[in-house]
Amino acid sequence: MRTSNLHASSFRDPSGTVFLDNGIVKRLINPIYFKQYQALKESGFFNKLFNNNLLIKHEEVSSSDDKIVIEPEQIPFISYPYEWSFNQYKAAALLTLKIQKYCLNHGFSLKDASAYNVTFHKGRAIFIDTLSFDFYKENTPWRAYKQFISHFLGPLVLARYHGAAQLQLIMNYSDGIPTKTISSLLPKTTKLNPFLYSNIHLLAKFESKHNEDESGKIKETSLSKNGQIKMIDALYDYIKNLKLKETTEWEDYYSNTNYSNDSFKKKSEIINSWVEVVKPKTLIDIGGNDGTFVRSISKDLNLALVTDIDNNAVDHNYKMAKENDERYMLPLILDVLNPSPAIGFNNKERASFIQRIKVWNPDITMALAVIHHITLTGNVPFAMSAEFFATFSKQLIIEFPKQTDSKVERLLNTKGEFKEHFNFYNQDNFETAYLNFFNLIEKKQIEDAERTMYFLKIKNA
Amino acid sequence: MQFLYFDPAIGAMIIQAIVAAVAGIILFSKNALYKVKVFLGIAKPLSDQDLFDDIDIDDTELEKNKTIEDK
Repeated sequence: MRTSNLHASSFRDPSGTVFLDNGIVKRLINPIYFKQYQALKESGFFNKLFNNNLLIKHEEVSSSDDKIVIEPEQIPFISYPYEWSFNQYKAAALLTLKIQKYCLNHGFSLKDASAYNVTFHKGRAIFIDTLSFDFYKENTPWRAYKQFISHFLGPLVLARYHGAAQLQLIMNYSDGIPTKTISSLLPKTTKLNPFLYSNIHLLAKFESKHNEDESGKIKETSLSKNGQIKMIDALYDYIKNLKLKETTEWEDYYSNTNYSNDSFKKKSEIINSWVEVVKPKTLIDIGGNDGTFVRSISKDLNLALVTDIDNNAVDHNYKMAKENDERYMLPLILDVLNPSPAIGFNNKERASFIQRIKVWNPDITMALAVIHHITLTGNVPFAMSAEFFATFSKQLIIEFPKQTDSKVERLLNTKGEFKEHFNFYNQDNFETAYLNFFNLIEKKQIEDAERTMYFLKIKNA
Repeated sequence: MQFLYFDPAIGAMIIQAIVAAVAGIILFSKNALYKVKVFLGIAKPLSDQDLFDDIDIDDTELEKNKTIEDK
């Protein structure tokens, strides 16, 4: 196999590797992992994991003495931990613990607990690293415990005390936030909490102590299965009950919005009339808040990626989607002014947001009530935002709030004496810039609102 | 451990006995406290609107569903 076909994030585990076969993601298993793979398959444990929606399903496509190839159910868009809201992050952490306990009860154990082993698919968190399972050896501690703390418990507790933005800190570390860093960032009072003291502060102490005086050899340590299960249970219980402190400016956005209910309805009607023509299967909503507009359009969508910068809006969307079992909905955190970069080894391990969107290639892009933020908060010229949307959009529904719109006026007023520098913010300039990249299909003024809706189609498509 | 490909984290291996002991005490006291609260009639009713389920997976449920599907 050519290395160029290998997935850039699949090199850490010698058990096997992920590769692309004519655009289909497949997984090659090396002989070193055959024993585990056969045991997982023959004991029926793989099937149990599939049936409980814990692990992504796969089928064996070929098997020989030197390699086994499996084809997992394809996931159209892989999201990363730093794009998840607080409760999504919790869901991923709880899933990992749930799997570990389930494993222990069936004679297996997770050999790693990376947050990148989980993604969101069909409305729920799902484990995607099929080769993370190993045999459980009686009375051994959980090898992936520290990784679980660095990837899950640490970021979640930091978010609890310092806000959801802390969940993005993991982007700076290739293997989770170091325990020492988590410990030093937490308030001193957390040392009085026996759970946090033992799982974070004491762990950090032990880690730095044993990093110095050990030769790198692993000492035999023992922990009963029952003990490990208690540890997992306590972690689950703590994380399940973890809540954020912060509130947000956006949460009441729709109750506090510039629209009368009537305009909201009219806006939906305009979008619907366009969507009915396109009949999209895939959609991305940039700045989609809690998904209200995506829910209001009549659709038969396979996947709707609804992004917003605000954790609470994304969290609200995730909760609603989970409660209503809306499997097409994928809420994610995205700062349009600073989308997730490509990170990891050779800058290729985790693709940037833009790279992933380009590959996914959604049928339609929606950008409602967001251009004034990009232009007046981010100071991004129209030509640049048009280019941004053109990199991944086939068709774009974009809303333009005029200078006379109260939200725009407010943003302009915050510019103080530089307000005149932003006179370029008007419909003519907007149209000139966007029509360089797109053809105008239709534009409609929203009645009783200082806003215009545009339906654009990418040129040369 | 031939399959280990990340930092073995020696400290984290040793500490788990302590973490598990603390977890045992936390779970035990939480449970005891809950029983006392139930006895006094001040326990919070278990919310059925919980966003997340319980950690335990009931395989018998799965078997039941399967037999229903098979039929």
